[in-house]
Amino acid sequence: MNPSLTDSPALSRRGILKIGLCASAFLATAGLGASLSGCSASTPASGFVMLRSSDLPFLRAVMPVLLDGVASAQEVAAGIEDALKKLDYSLQHLSPEMIKLTRQLFDVFAMGITRGPLTGIWGSWENASSEQIRHFLQRWENSSLNLLRMGQGSLLKLVIMAWYFRPASWAHCGYPGPPHI
Amino acid sequence: MPVPDLFRDGLARGWKTHNGAALDRDLTLEADVAIIGSGAGGGTTAEILSAAGYRVLLIEEGPLKTSSDFKLLEDEAYASLYQEGIGRMSKDGAITILQGRAVGGTTLINWTSSFRTPDATLAHWASEYAVTGHSSSEMAPWFEKMEQRLGIAPWALPPNANNDVIRKGCEKLGYSWHVIPRNVRGCFNLGYCGMGCPVNAKQSMLVTTIPSTLEQGGELLYLARAEQFNYSGDAISSLECVAMDARCVAPTGRRVTVKARHYVLAGGGINSPALLMRSNAPDPHSRLGKRTFLHLVNFSAGLFDEVINPFYGAPQSIYSDHFQWQDGVTGKMSYKLEAPPLHPGLASTLFGGYGSANALDMSQLPNTHAMLALLRDGFHPDSTGGTVGLRGDGTPVLDYQVSPYAWDGLRRAFHSMAEIQFAAGARSVKPLHHDARYVNTLAEARRMINELSLELHRTTLGSAHVMGGCAMGEDPKNAVTDSLGRHHQLRNLSIHDGSLFPTSIGANPQLSVYGLSAKLATALAERLKTA
Repeated sequence: MNPSLTDSPALSRRGILKIGLCASAFLATAGLGASLSGCSASTPASGFVMLRSSDLPFLRAVMPVLLDGVASAQEVAAGIEDALKKLDYSLQHLSPEMIKLTRQLFDVFAMGITRGPLTGIWGSWENASSEQIRHFLQRWENSSLNLLRMGQGSLLKLVIMAWYFRPASWAHCGYPGPPHI
Repeated sequence: MPVPDLFRDGLARGWKTHNGAALDRDLTLEADVAIIGSGAGGGTTAEILSAAGYRVLLIEEGPLKTSSDFKLLEDEAYASLYQEGIGRMSKDGAITILQGRAVGGTTLINWTSSFRTPDATLAHWASEYAVTGHSSSEMAPWFEKMEQRLGIAPWALPPNANNDVIRKGCEKLGYSWHVIPRNVRGCFNLGYCGMGCPVNAKQSMLVTTIPSTLEQGGELLYLARAEQFNYSGDAISSLECVAMDARCVAPTGRRVTVKARHYVLAGGGINSPALLMRSNAPDPHSRLGKRTFLHLVNFSAGLFDEVINPFYGAPQSIYSDHFQWQDGVTGKMSYKLEAPPLHPGLASTLFGGYGSANALDMSQLPNTHAMLALLRDGFHPDSTGGTVGLRGDGTPVLDYQVSPYAWDGLRRAFHSMAEIQFAAGARSVKPLHHDARYVNTLAEARRMINELSLELHRTTLGSAHVMGGCAMGEDPKNAVTDSLGRHHQLRNLSIHDGSLFPTSIGANPQLSVYGLSAKLATALAERLKTA
């Protein structure tokens, strides 16, 4: 089964198209919208260089789903702050253009006006169930909109790579680490 | 035993370098020849011109990192040594593009595979793209010279288990396979070529041509992005560079003006055409950035009972060209088969997916073999490559569409890889695609591969080879430079890098760039005597 926008009976084909166009517009203007609505902080969250406080509720909610199975739930929970640090380090080195896209993506997740229609998560991220988050990820993976597929792919890459950048994650994948020279 | 850091020793002896990030005021630098880009094309050119007595300035956008900086850690290496902090991808985000960005360019982080340009490719350029003087026999001495310079020889140690799968599978099936020539001296067989060689065994530009250039009194400017050329008539009068911060992300506000008699552009596919586009260089036939080729790459994973440890050992040592020329030079899209190293971060993105599926794939990493297919782009009318464009901030992006012709090649490559993996003893095989799963027989794999919906984002696609975009050829209507890399419109500009290739190579391109640049730089050294 591939849950997608089309599974929602309330959405006609025309409605989907409309949401599609809106999504592109949202993504294109999310940065602007976010700064206008004041719901996206432009300053980094405490302890981070790039990640903003508005990025964190989403990431903290999604990471346990993306990382389900890499370790026990407790170990994943304990590793998330460290993985966020690695993610923050990667973001510090992305080109300005890639950072801009990533921030627009995170803004879409942070702002209620885009989060609800585009992710199906109408309440706060803290209250979203794993099931809802998986549904959102599948919906984006199977979207007819390249922007959403690209966004989902980038999110997965950034988060899962950040996890495996940590030596603490290597036992799970049987990697003894780099040799000593 | 500590490994000597040749580059730092040279700096201590007084090599002349300028760190863009550290500039506290604007700077003007003069040279006989300014070379933009310090990778295979720029490094080779710098050594030859400085040995001929010219004052050379080598300009690199990225940072200077030397062997003592290389800690064999993925996060540090990807962030500091790769274009856009490894965030470079095709415009639609579907193809990850790996290119180096540090002193030494991509030679710093490539996997050392060194092939001469195939005869068929050179012949095709001569017959279809009016490239003259580049026949196999005319190029052979240049390849030989660079093979000697960089210690290029077939890998003499046994392949690691990851590469040995290709040998075993091909043997079993009667397919041809060969040992890969590598540019190494005293290799420790570690497996971390992609993160910077910590023991200076890889004969990258960082430890060969750049040191010899600096030893001759040449200068190196790093963390400086070549922003645009200024002109006087049909010649370049100066080059404007912007100094970059230590991360190579943001300009510091300082500028460096470079004045030279001659300019050599060697930024590679994507960056070379982009500089000319930013500079509004003459392009009367609209060729800049067009026909930019990738060796598009797809992957197949195989699970083995024995331990593979795909993260250790020389990353590439065995290849198969069995399918490469099977349908002729201009027939169906064909491919070279090789193996990628699998370190955890990169492996996690290749497997794709998330949660328990990705976690399961990762938990089996030590028993996982991966194979890749490099698709030969640009030889067929339906294989036209991509187009480089400029984003709002003047930085380049490659718009690359995957044609039905290419998808057909990718599907056949999935079949070939699965067949070889099973023949080599794989317990199960999975083409790297979102809808694929590990299956236990070749018949099942074939059924699955035939049914896969091959589309962007569902198929794991990448490329580490960008070629073309400033094609060479004698007809200015079809080319940016002539066969000697001389710009058709600007009289003191040459291009010496992979952007000159009129098609892809059909093999890892570094030796193609070395041989070509050595030939062009030697001719340039002669011309400059009388210019």
